[in-house]
This record gives sequence, structure tokens and C-alpha cells, in this order.
Amino acid sequence: MTLTREKILNNLSEIFRTRFEIENPGLDENLREAYEFDSIDAIELLVEIEKMLGVSLTQEEKKSAMNVRTINQICDYIESLNASG
Amino acid sequence: MERRVVITAESLITPIGHGKKDIVRSLLNGVSGVKPLKTDNLLSGYIKSKVFGSIDYPMEYDFKRSHRKTMGPVAYYACQAVKEVLEKAGLDQEFISSGRLGVAFGSTHGSPTVQRNIYKNFFSGSSDQFSQVSAVDYLKSMVHTTAVNITKMFGITGRVISSSTACTTSSQSVGFGYEMIKYGLQDAMICGGADEYDTTTVAVFDNLLACSTAYNDTPHLTPRPFEARRDGLVVGEAGGAVLLEEYGRAKKRGADILGEIIGFSCNNNGGDLILPNTRGITETIRSGLENAGINSGDVDFISAHATGTKMGDVIESQAIYNIFGGDPPVSGLKSYMGHTMGACGVIETVITLYMMEMGFIAPTLHLDEIDRRCAMIRHVTEFQETGVRTALVQNFAFGGVNTCLILKKI
Repeated sequence: MTLTREKILNNLSEIFRTRFEIENPGLDENLREAYEFDSIDAIELLVEIEKMLGVSLTQEEKKSAMNVRTINQICDYIESLNASG
Repeated sequence: MERRVVITAESLITPIGHGKKDIVRSLLNGVSGVKPLKTDNLLSGYIKSKVFGSIDYPMEYDFKRSHRKTMGPVAYYACQAVKEVLEKAGLDQEFISSGRLGVAFGSTHGSPTVQRNIYKNFFSGSSDQFSQVSAVDYLKSMVHTTAVNITKMFGITGRVISSSTACTTSSQSVGFGYEMIKYGLQDAMICGGADEYDTTTVAVFDNLLACSTAYNDTPHLTPRPFEARRDGLVVGEAGGAVLLEEYGRAKKRGADILGEIIGFSCNNNGGDLILPNTRGITETIRSGLENAGINSGDVDFISAHATGTKMGDVIESQAIYNIFGGDPPVSGLKSYMGHTMGACGVIETVITLYMMEMGFIAPTLHLDEIDRRCAMIRHVTEFQETGVRTALVQNFAFGGVNTCLILKKI
């Protein structure tokens, strides 16, 4: 089932709140600069995204996420996975 | 070039208290920090020793998430102790991040709590494709997790040494930190060690028949170093840190000088990995005195390793007697809190500094009847009000590693 952008945003909001203690991040805020969200966090987030989508991501798909910096970019990334899946 | 090295700040988190005031109160009142072993729903039910040197008071941490995310319980103890040391010392951030301040800090084996969760995951048999090792599990559990979480939290950019030699972990940290400054490689070093609540270590000593089991119903009465009815060691949890500085620098900035380290030695028995060795320990003490440039008669207090094992205490007594005869007073501080493993060296160093400053010697607890095989040295069995100017802190570890730190009051 393809997730709507609204559903993805809701899921991300919950993940960021519970997993990373980040409340209501701005959609275009640079997460690294604003919240010290680093590559370790990105790897943790990928696991959460796998759970959200119910799929295992390939190494290439994971690597392509490493330049993502904002919530909107994360949504774009998840939508692209949805589209390719 | 050899430079003088002084200790200018300290912090301890121990089973007998957090900070100098609580710890000294426990020492003066003969309070033990040994409690019933908490259950872990895994090994504790099989372990015969049911006692543990426990930190059972609440600890409050104000570490931010970006720091917490790479920390297991052992790193919490380490970072909290170092935070308190840096607050006391009042070093400016420019110096902290200058590359002239280093870290020598370790633990027995990283964070066993985190390691246990990793293995639990591995062996769970779960078909959940997403149950995998977390990206931070290694950072939390690796053997140098304490040292590098400290560097990260405080922005320290100097040398990093992370000893992991069980019971000599933090005495090596202090000793190697001393050498870094003495020989001009660093101007200051944060040194110490920590270990968290962990039943794996208890199980290891339990299997080797080295743990105390006869006092399971009266935990506060064990361990009993040098005592006739001792029956083994008690594992404990703790963390401790000191700041070492080059003497001239400390003087110039008006730092409180708690004491000077005037000598350090470290050697190996060159043989058995478990049994202590009289010759090896005697040689450690001898070379420590030589390194400090003092005679045995100059030492007026010895903090013994004194774990409370049947053979270890006898061999240590023989080694002390070989060098000192029956002269300087000897105390076994593990009698108050058990064997805090990676933290014991720095804890015994700091408690010795407290006693030097305040003019007393805490007795070995529970030393009702001295084992006749340990009786040739001068045991402290009661509180003594006395000045200590030069003290020796000795520690020995599995693997045959021995250390000796020599402290002097300034």
C-alpha cells in the first residue's frame, strides 16, 4: 500500500519525537544544524523507515539517503522508495 | 625533560557515596556499600555469590541526546565523573580543545548491558527482518566507549589512551596519564575508569570460586580483606576521574592541588594469567619506589589491592613485607564497597588523597581476626587520626598486570 505524504509526515513526526527527542521539526529545517541529527541518526532512521514501509532497503537505497537533510527531503525519499517499490 | 605532575580535581561515584562528603562520611562511620545482588533475569539466578557493590542511590544526568545516544551505562558514570572534574577545575574551553589535554580512561569491557542486548538479538531466533544491531550499539559497547564519549562530550582533542586491563584499568589510566605529562607529551590529562552493574563479571569470578558466598544474607559484612573468615571478592560498580596537570601550569592558574604523583610502575608477572605472584608484585613495588626516587622508609601509608580472596591477600602481604617489613600502615579499601573493577584504582587513589588531606586513615572493614598468613604487615584495624605524606596505591589484575602509584602531599 502506498502511503500518502500526510501519513508519512505523521509517521515521521512520531518517529522524531519518540526516537530522536525532536518535537515538531520544521519541514525545511536542516536537521543536522538545528538538532545535531547526524549520520548515526540517519542510519537509525533508515531502520524506522524499513519498518514503516515493511521492506528491507538495499545498500544502494540506503546510501542514497545520506544526503537527505530536511523532513521534506525525507518525505521525498520515502515517496521515491514507494514509487520504485 | 621530566616534569612534576599534580592532581587538581577529582570526582567519584561509588557504592559508598557520590562525591567527597558522602564517601568520607561512609569511611568515618564504617558504612559498607555491598548489597544483595540485583536480579537480571539471566545469570543472577545461577550465580552462587548473591552480593554486589551497588550504586543504589538515584543518579541525575543532564546530558543532551546527541551525547546520550552513544552511551551505555558505563559511559554515563564516566562522563558524569569527568563533568564534575571539569566543573571543579574550571578549565577554559580553549585549553580543553587545544590538543594539550588528553584522556586516559577505560572500563573492563565496555558496556556489557549493551553487549547482552546485541547477543539477545542475535540469538533470539526472531524472523523479524528489521531486528538488527543498532548503528550505535558498537559505540555504546566498544572497549574504549568511556574514553571517546568523554572526548565527544567535552570537545577534548588530545591523546586518547583506553586501558582495559580489568582491575588495573584505572590505575593504568592514572599512571599512563602521569607519564604523558611527566615526559611533556601533554600538559594535562583526564584519567579514570568505570564499570557498570554486570553479572557476567560476577559469573566469571564465581566460576573460579573467587567470589564471596558465605555472607549472602549479610552483604554488608563482606568482602573481608586479610581476615581469617574471608571467602572471596565482591564485584561492584562505580566510576571515578581525576585531572592531572603539569605542576607549573597548575600553580600558575591557581588550581587546588590535591596531591602530587611522584612515581608509577607497571609490570607483568610473565606467567600465570590468574594467580597473583609474589615476585611480580614485589618487583612492581620496588620499581615504583625507584621511579619515585624514594626509599621504602619514606612511605607512610599503603592502600592495598586487597580483594578478599584466599590467596591474593596472602601473596600481597608477603610482597609488602618483602619491601617494607612490618612498618607502614596498610588498609584495604575494597572492604567498604567491593571490587569496582575498572574503577578501583582511581577510587583508591582519590580516597587516599582525601585521607592525606584530612589527616586520617580508614581501617580495613571487618578485620576482626587477621589471617596469620597476612599478619606480618601492619594492618589498620581502627580509625587512625594521623598525617600521611607519602602513600602507595597498588593494584593487580587478571592477566598478571601489576601497578603501583606513589602519591605525595604538597
